[in-house]
Amino acid sequence: MGLLAKTGGLRMSAEKQETLLKLSILSIAAVLSFATRLFSVLRFESVIHEFDPYFNYRTTKFLAEEGFYNFHNWFDDRAWYPLGRIIGGTIYPGLMVTSAALYHLAWLLNITIDIRNVCVFLAPLFSSLTTIVTYLLTKELKDSAAGLVAASMIAIVPGYISRSVAGSYDNEGIAIFCMLFTYYMWIKAVKTGAIFWSSLAALAYFYMVSSWGGYVFLINLIPLHVLTLMATGRFSHRIYVAYSTLYCVGTVLSMQISFVGFQPVQSSEHMLALGVFGLCQIHSLVDYLRSKMSQNDFELLFKALVFSMVVISFVVGGALTVTGKISPWTGRFYSLLDPSYAKNHIPIIASVSEHQPTSWSSFYFDLQILVFLFPAGLYFCFSKLTDSNIFLILYGVTSIYFAGVMVRLMLVLAPVMCILSGIGASSMLLTYMKQIESGKVVDKKSKKFENNYVLRSEIATLFVAVMCFLFVSYTLHCTWVTAEAYSSPSIVLSARSPDGGRMIFDDFREAYYWLRMNTPEDAKVMSWWDYGYQITAMANRTILVDNNTWNNTHISRVGQAMASSEDKAYEIMRELDVDYVLVIFGGLTGYSSDDINKFLWMVRIGGSTDKGKHITEWDYYSPAGEFRVDKEGSPVLLNCLMYKMCYYRFGQVYTEGGKPSGYDRVRNMEIGNKDFELDVLEEAYTTEHWLVRIYKVKDLRNRGI
Amino acid sequence: MARGIIRGFIILLSVCCIVSANSETINNDLVIKNVERSIDLQSQLTKIVNKLTVENTGKNPVKSLLFAIEQKHKDGLSYIAAQTRDTSRSALKISETKVQNHPDKLFYKIELKDALSPGRSLAIEVETVSSNELVPHPKEITQKEKQLVRYFGNVYFYSPYTVAKQTSVITLPSRNVENYTKFKPVVQSDSTITYGPYEKVAPFSVEDLILHFENNNKFLTIKKLERVIEISHWGNIAIEETIDLYHTGALLKGSFSRYEYARESKSGQSSVQNFNTILPAAASDVYYRDEIGNISTSHMRIRKDAVELNLRPRFPLFGGWKTHYVIGYNVPSYEYLFNSGDEYLLRMRLLDHVFDDMVVEELVTKIILPEGSHSVKLNAPYSVTRLPDTLHYTYLDTKGRPVITITKNNLVENHIQDFQLRYTFPRLLMLQEPLLVVIALYLLFLLVIVYVRLDFSINKDEVSESKLRIAGRCEKILAAQDRRVNSYNDLDDQLSELKANKNTNTFQAAVKSINQEYKTATNTISELSLKLKGESGDVYERIQELQKLDKALKELYNQQQALYFDKLIPGRIGRQPFVDAESVIIKKKEETVEKINSIVKSLQ
Repeated sequence: MGLLAKTGGLRMSAEKQETLLKLSILSIAAVLSFATRLFSVLRFESVIHEFDPYFNYRTTKFLAEEGFYNFHNWFDDRAWYPLGRIIGGTIYPGLMVTSAALYHLAWLLNITIDIRNVCVFLAPLFSSLTTIVTYLLTKELKDSAAGLVAASMIAIVPGYISRSVAGSYDNEGIAIFCMLFTYYMWIKAVKTGAIFWSSLAALAYFYMVSSWGGYVFLINLIPLHVLTLMATGRFSHRIYVAYSTLYCVGTVLSMQISFVGFQPVQSSEHMLALGVFGLCQIHSLVDYLRSKMSQNDFELLFKALVFSMVVISFVVGGALTVTGKISPWTGRFYSLLDPSYAKNHIPIIASVSEHQPTSWSSFYFDLQILVFLFPAGLYFCFSKLTDSNIFLILYGVTSIYFAGVMVRLMLVLAPVMCILSGIGASSMLLTYMKQIESGKVVDKKSKKFENNYVLRSEIATLFVAVMCFLFVSYTLHCTWVTAEAYSSPSIVLSARSPDGGRMIFDDFREAYYWLRMNTPEDAKVMSWWDYGYQITAMANRTILVDNNTWNNTHISRVGQAMASSEDKAYEIMRELDVDYVLVIFGGLTGYSSDDINKFLWMVRIGGSTDKGKHITEWDYYSPAGEFRVDKEGSPVLLNCLMYKMCYYRFGQVYTEGGKPSGYDRVRNMEIGNKDFELDVLEEAYTTEHWLVRIYKVKDLRNRGI
Repeated sequence: MARGIIRGFIILLSVCCIVSANSETINNDLVIKNVERSIDLQSQLTKIVNKLTVENTGKNPVKSLLFAIEQKHKDGLSYIAAQTRDTSRSALKISETKVQNHPDKLFYKIELKDALSPGRSLAIEVETVSSNELVPHPKEITQKEKQLVRYFGNVYFYSPYTVAKQTSVITLPSRNVENYTKFKPVVQSDSTITYGPYEKVAPFSVEDLILHFENNNKFLTIKKLERVIEISHWGNIAIEETIDLYHTGALLKGSFSRYEYARESKSGQSSVQNFNTILPAAASDVYYRDEIGNISTSHMRIRKDAVELNLRPRFPLFGGWKTHYVIGYNVPSYEYLFNSGDEYLLRMRLLDHVFDDMVVEELVTKIILPEGSHSVKLNAPYSVTRLPDTLHYTYLDTKGRPVITITKNNLVENHIQDFQLRYTFPRLLMLQEPLLVVIALYLLFLLVIVYVRLDFSINKDEVSESKLRIAGRCEKILAAQDRRVNSYNDLDDQLSELKANKNTNTFQAAVKSINQEYKTATNTISELSLKLKGESGDVYERIQELQKLDKALKELYNQQQALYFDKLIPGRIGRQPFVDAESVIIKKKEETVEKINSIVKSLQ
């Protein structure tokens, strides 16, 4: 017989169950987003990755040890010798302040954590927070179900993971959180029209400005949103309050960051925000006047007002641009609008791989199913337009354009992809899930209506199954991408040895530590700018140029030294007080991103200034127009400083069986110039696998010898 | 700090007083009959073993004798020990002392176990180890060249007493000797040089000995070794050593060629590529790193009595090069920490092995005791300087852990000896840390509970409040319903028993209490439902429905009971009609139960 059901000991109302479910899904997503970023720590160690993070790490350490005011006034004489660099005024300090604050908080509670570990784990921590903020934002935009899907998706999306694995201690790691947080506050402000929320949005905006240069995207997107709302006739007092507060408070706050300074009122990148702010005032004025005047009078006034406004803004804008009050559009900004701009005009921007246009495959690689769910999400947004949905549509469309222009901006696209896909997936699932169980619907009317569909329940089940399959494949893909592509620290290389074991190439640190230990404290090291941050952070020695490529002439000078013959280079090196020269050479191990492969950029950048006019790219190509290091290569290349430093004594080494000595394993050719001696340099140190070679610049020769 | 300096000064002063008060004189009655001296110069150290035979030619028994060190060897001397040469080989007490009229020399007083009576002789052995006495010459060499060093010594055994007969054997690392003092009689065979025998040498005689020979062994000096021992009473001792390592051999001249270093075995002979560090056998979780991360070039071998670490610095060390690294590991505390009650005794090495024939210029050992330890007493194996105690704060500390700091300069392998540290630690304090965590979590949960349960908003939200009230009532009703379900289940059991046993009396007794329970539960539900009437008509109706169904169910039970009582037990019914009647009732029961279940589900 049927037993009477007992409700049991753990009784929960539907609401409580929902809360529990939401909380557990969200916390699992947050934990997952932290855990999935730990591949590199588990495989290698808790170490800072790549190049820029080393600078951030070094400055954070300085901040944690010396305090904020010393940090703010810090003149760094270790970089850009002999110019130096004012660190406090040329960085976004948000990242460093965040980690230093966390560090001090931990020490206050007697948690003796190392500052390095704070830095390493900061990005995963903030991705957990991003997961939560994504949920909140999506919940505001749609509902909590979509929020949960979006949160689960952003937890593992590779486009975001690429910049936020443990050890990748860069501005972007916290900036995405700040950006989404600002959006969340903004949506709240738009929905409520409360000064409270808009002030919070301004504070979040301030945090965003303090942490990443990408805030420009944000301060253009929000005005664009307001502008669109105006154009679609949705402008209201709520929007007026929200935007006016955000703009005024946010701008004043953002000007407190010394690196930003007066840009918010001067540079053309910020002009949209200013213009929309003015437009807001005019719009409200017009609305007010309209309510007080007759139709005819108002139209006359309106026309006159529009005409004079356009004229005045043109005149004032033009005058300010001519006098230089409004800074000209910077190169990076042009390259956003016109992808070929940088390549044609500024080699130093084009030489950075992350500034290259995105290929189609990398969209799929970084976003997988989100690429397909994104249009679905857009559809659902369009189908029910609200003030906040318009924002999401704008965000999605603009960021997909920018991501197409620059690989790096994939990061900005990833969150909105997740949000829109979350909305799309959840809406579709919601529709079809109802159909699976609809056999039990008692309501006769709807039953009749739904009977028109054939195999309703089966198709719904199939659809849900397909979605499940997609989600599973998304998870697998994300995990695979994270593990394979985005979790190598690049400071330690690993390879499979012939016997199947793992080989570790730790040459970079070997060389940097050698510099740190066995060179004079004030030695100046010349290297290509890529390694600048690593050398200052790990070797603690003065360098000429680094990854903060602010002075093109100086970098060009180093490029000229590398591209010149030994005698000419010696003059440049004497001029720059160089003691040691460091080059990266992969010919023995087959490490392909070495200095010979970057050499053409050095030539181009070296030849891009007046002093380097004599250096032309074509001199370094073989007669057939190829870049070759073997006998057919151009004699200029075979005798330049970079070539000699990389291949010094390499001619005697046998690298591969069956190949002649001096066989370069990256370029797969036998080098053309084998027997030469160095006149002005001497080998100071070469690492175990020849990855890093350090040369000492000899003193001037004694007279008469 | 200032107090510490003053204290140190007072100690120094008092030590000086004692020494000057105990100034010794040289007893001319003592004569050294024979000295066999062996000087081992194979490593970077100068290890000298002096085998002496001392005779008392005077009239009085002698309690002690003196051992002298030349002025130029004073600074290098790192370790000295004396022992008897009989079968017991027992150690003799040796201490630094001052001798009248010889202020420039260093003297040690060796106290004999038994006084040496007149006419008798005694064989003893004095061992000294000195560092930094081998000087590279030439001072700079290229990568290809071999390392040559010079040793400046004394052909004679330096003695405050007359020496009747002596020989010295010098052991070198190779037969490659550039030059040596030819003070006859002297013989070189292979890698040893023998000076002597010399007879009748007056006290404090010096004849310069200069050796110039090849020595490619490790010339490594630890400039500073900081050893931190952190004790946890939860069973673990963590040890971390920070080491500043220098290559103090001949400096590298010119360039370093990796090609030659990898290809030619002769290249860079004096450089140090790796060395072995021996850790205690119980060591686990070993790490080897420096400021910029883990050093991946190390191997660990676990032997029966030790853990052997083969450490490779990031780069080979040539003359004048240096490196810096940290090595750390854990050992279980039961091997080193002993207690009786609240009294604890820690016995560990003051200095541990880093590499063979090592030289430590400065050692700082820090011992971090658990929070709350007090009355610390240190017993060091040799004289050390104890710096003022400090405090260390780490996880879950409130008032800080006491740190004992000890320092000493110029140490060698012979200094690897145990110290003893006694301290008192109230064992109840072990509970402090778990309690701290418990309280912190408790407060956190309390805060969350308060925040969630209490309404902090200024305006009242009627809708959600009434919702909450309804939910609360429903919960109570469901609890009562559960009780009712229990009573039905009991009744079912009783009925099936009755069917089998046909014992009406026990059945009736049992049913009475079951019915009582049922009645109270039903009353509770109807009371609660009345209260609900005002809040939500919908829920009220559903409960009324539930009550109605329940009544019907109860009625069915009564019918079943009546069927058993009136028909089955008296035997007034045939088998087939009974089964039919029962199945009808059961079917009805099932229908009702399903309806009740659906209502209960909707109420949840």
